[in-house]
Amino acid sequence: MKELMHLKRLSAVKSNIGIKFLTPAVFPGTHCPMRIASVIVEDIVGLSSLLVGMQECTTHSRLFSPKPEGKKGELHWLYVLEDKEVVFGCREGLMDALRKMDKAGAKAILLIITCVPELIGEDIEGMIHEVQPELSAQVTYVMLGQFKNFSYPPGSWKTIQALGGLMEKKEKNPLLVNVLGRSPEEDHIPMPSLLPELQARGIILRYLAPGASLEDFQNGPEAALNLVVSPYTQPLAVKMEEEFGVPYIALHTLYSVEEIDKAYAEIAVGLNICWDNCFEAERQEALALQNHAKKRLDGLRYISSVRIDLPLPLAIYLDSLGMTALLLHLEEYYPEDRINAQQLIARGQDPWVCRMVNAEADLPIMEALEPDIYFGYLQIASPTAPCVADMFDFYGQTGYGRTTRLLKRIFETLDETEKSRRGGISHGSSSI
Amino acid sequence: MGLHRFKPLPSGRMGTLWTLATIHGAALVEFGCMGHMLYSGVTLKHAAVHDGCRLYSTHIDETDIALGDTTRLNHTIANVVKQNNPKVIFLLPSSIPEVIGTDLPALCRELQQDYPDVRLLPFGYGGFDVIKHRGVQEALLLLVKALPIDIEKTPQPTFNIIGSCADLFRFQADAAEIVRIMEGTFGMKAVSVMTSDTSVEDIEKMGSAHINLVIRREGEAAAKHLEKRFGTPYLLGRPYGIEGTINWLEKVAQISGLTMDSAFVKEERGVSRSRLIPVMPALRHLVRSHPEEATLSLGGHADVVKGILSFGLEELSLIKGTCWCDSPAMGSDDIPYFTENEWAPVVEQHQRGLLMTSGEALEWTGRSSDMQISNPDTKWRLHPYEPPFVGFRGAVHLVNLWINASNED
Repeated sequence: MKELMHLKRLSAVKSNIGIKFLTPAVFPGTHCPMRIASVIVEDIVGLSSLLVGMQECTTHSRLFSPKPEGKKGELHWLYVLEDKEVVFGCREGLMDALRKMDKAGAKAILLIITCVPELIGEDIEGMIHEVQPELSAQVTYVMLGQFKNFSYPPGSWKTIQALGGLMEKKEKNPLLVNVLGRSPEEDHIPMPSLLPELQARGIILRYLAPGASLEDFQNGPEAALNLVVSPYTQPLAVKMEEEFGVPYIALHTLYSVEEIDKAYAEIAVGLNICWDNCFEAERQEALALQNHAKKRLDGLRYISSVRIDLPLPLAIYLDSLGMTALLLHLEEYYPEDRINAQQLIARGQDPWVCRMVNAEADLPIMEALEPDIYFGYLQIASPTAPCVADMFDFYGQTGYGRTTRLLKRIFETLDETEKSRRGGISHGSSSI
Repeated sequence: MGLHRFKPLPSGRMGTLWTLATIHGAALVEFGCMGHMLYSGVTLKHAAVHDGCRLYSTHIDETDIALGDTTRLNHTIANVVKQNNPKVIFLLPSSIPEVIGTDLPALCRELQQDYPDVRLLPFGYGGFDVIKHRGVQEALLLLVKALPIDIEKTPQPTFNIIGSCADLFRFQADAAEIVRIMEGTFGMKAVSVMTSDTSVEDIEKMGSAHINLVIRREGEAAAKHLEKRFGTPYLLGRPYGIEGTINWLEKVAQISGLTMDSAFVKEERGVSRSRLIPVMPALRHLVRSHPEEATLSLGGHADVVKGILSFGLEELSLIKGTCWCDSPAMGSDDIPYFTENEWAPVVEQHQRGLLMTSGEALEWTGRSSDMQISNPDTKWRLHPYEPPFVGFRGAVHLVNLWINASNED
C-alpha cells in the first residue's frame, strides 16, 4: 500500500525518531510529556516543582496542576523565559528562582524543562551543580522538550526516573520490597494477587508511584527487590539496580502463564519464600483461557491503535496465540523495546509501525489493511472489525489475573460481534 | 517574565490563536510541537468554543530542527486541503520556529502556488517580546486587511462587532447582548461578530456594514483600516450599565445617522430599573452607612475594568477600590497594570467590599467564582448562554452579583 510506504517496519526502527506518523496533519494530536510530569509532581507529597518554559507550556501546565501550592506546603511554580533569556540563557534567572523556592520552604524541587530551554541548550545539570550547595532543598531535573519526546510516556518514565536523583544510599532491609508503578492508595486498579501473598509471608511493601511521598522515594534504596508493574517505572528500576544494587523483576511485560510462572519462582528464590501453590486456582483459569485462545484467535490479523501501554510485549503474547500484527501504533519506543522488538521479529513478525495522530485520516488506511480485529482506542469506530477497547484498564495489573481479564475481554468483543452479526441476519433484510 | 506562581501573561502567539480559532470555514495550522495545539484546543473547549476553525499541528522533531526541514508543513497543508478543503488556512508560528527563525510567510508564498483555491494566510507577531493583547490586535488587523472583498453597503443598515475574542471572559454572552440591543434599537443585523461568531464569508463581507462597533482597544487598528478602505465609521467602547448603555447607543446613532427606537430603549430601561428596585435601598444603605463595603475592586482587561467601574461609580455611587488591568501596554493612572506580585496581595488581603477579577485569583483565595470578570478561567463553560456583563441585561446581572456578594460579607 502506497499509504504505508513512508513508514518503517519494526526491524528498521531503532529509536523514537524512526517512528513516522501514519498521516501527517496532527488533529488533535497527543499529550505533551509536560502534562504527565505536572500531574505526577502534584501527586508526590513533599515534592515541589518548577516548570520552565514559555507562556504556552507554563499556562497549559495549570490545566493539570492548577494550584501554585500543595496541601503540605509543596510549591508548584512556573518560570517563564524572557526574550533575552531565549538568546542569552536563563541560568541566572533559574538559580535565583531556586533560591526563592528554597527560602519559601521547598524540601525537594524537580525542575521540569520544556521545549525552548531544552532547545537553547541550557546546561541545567551544571546550573544545579553550582547552586545546590546554597540550598537546603535537593534539586533534580527532567528534560521534556516535546521535539525530543513525542508524547506522554517520557513525561512519566523520565520524571519517575529523575526522582531517582533524590534517592540516598541506605542499608538494605531484606524484608522490604518496592512496588514500582502502583500507588499506596489505589482504588481503581485491582490489586494483583501477588502483593497480598507477599505480605502474608512477612514482606513489607512500599509503593513508589504518584501518591507516594518524597520520603518514600528518598528511602527507596532500602528495598531488597523492586517489582515493576508499570512501563513508566522500569527505567527507575534499572537506575536503582545500577546505582544502589537493588535488583528488579519486571511483571508488567509478562502475559503468558509460563512467563509468569518463571517470574514468580524467581521472586520466591530472591526473597527466600515459598508460594505453597497459592496461585494455582487463578493460574489454572488463565491457562485454560490461554489454551482456548490458541484455538480461537489463531490466524486473526490485528491492528494495534492508540492507548495501549506496551504494544510490543502484547504483540509478542498475541503472536504466541497465533495472531498476526499488521500495524502497530507505538506511542513510545522505550529503552527496553529493542529487546521486545527483537523477540517479536525472531518469532517471524515484522509489522509496520507508526504513530496515529489524525483519526479521521488514519482510519481509511487501517481499514484498507483489512484487519480482523483492532486493539486500543478508535476515535471513529471501524465499520468492519471489532475493537478490544479500553486497554488502559490493564495499566498496573499484572500476573495471571491480568492475562485472564485480557483474554476474557478479547472473547467478549468477538462474542458481541458474532452475536450482532447473527442478529443482523435473523432480523435484517435477508429473505427467509 | 521570570518566576510565577500563577499563569503568566499569555504570548502574542496565544492571542493570535484565540482570535482565529472561532472562525468558521477556516483551518488553522500551527508549525510546532503538537502539545501547544492540543492544549489550546482544550482551553478553547473550556471556553465554549466549538465548531470554529479546524485546529491542526504539524508537530516538529529534533531532526526537523537540526536540518531546518519544513516538509511537515507541506504534507500537513496537503492533507488539510484534501481532508477539509477550507477556504482559508491560517498559519501560526510557535515558539520553536521562532527560536530557529523559520520564515513562515516565505514558505506560504511558495506553497500558495500549489493551492490556487485555498488562501494561505501566515500570521506574525510570534516573537518572545510580544504578549497576548498585541497578538489579538495584529490578528484582527491582518484579517481585515486580507479577507474583506470590495462590496457595496447592505441595503438595510448593518454593523460589525470587532474584538469579541475567546480570550475575554464571557465573550459570547457579551456579544449576544450587543447584537440584541442593536437589533432592538436600530433594527440592525450583524454582518460579522468578529471573531466569536463569524465565518470567512462573513469577514469577506465586512465592508458592507454601516458601522463598526469596536469593543476592545485591540480592535481599533482593524476598524481604522476598514474606515479607510470602506469609509465605515466606528465606535470604540463597551456598553456597561443602564445609562451607560443608552449613552453608547446614542453614540451609535450619532455616528451612523440612524434613529433610535425610543420605545425599545424606554422599555429596556424600564425593565432593567424595575428589576433593580428591590435591592436599591440595600445598595444605597451600603454606600451611605458602610462605604468600605461599597468599594468596587476590579482586575482584568482594561476596557472591561473601565466599563464596569464606570457603571458602579456613576450609576450606583459605589466607591472605587483597587483596580488594575492585565496588560502592561494598557496601564494608566486610573487603572494601572499589576503584575502577580502586585495583584496577589490585593486579592489575598481583600476583606470588605466587592472584588471582581479572574477565576484563577478568586479560586486561589477560596472565593466564589460568581465574581469572575476576567481570565484566566478555571472552569468549563460548555454553553454560551450565561448572563452578559454589558448592555441592559449585563447591568442587572452585575447588580445581582454585587448585592449577593455584599450580603455574604
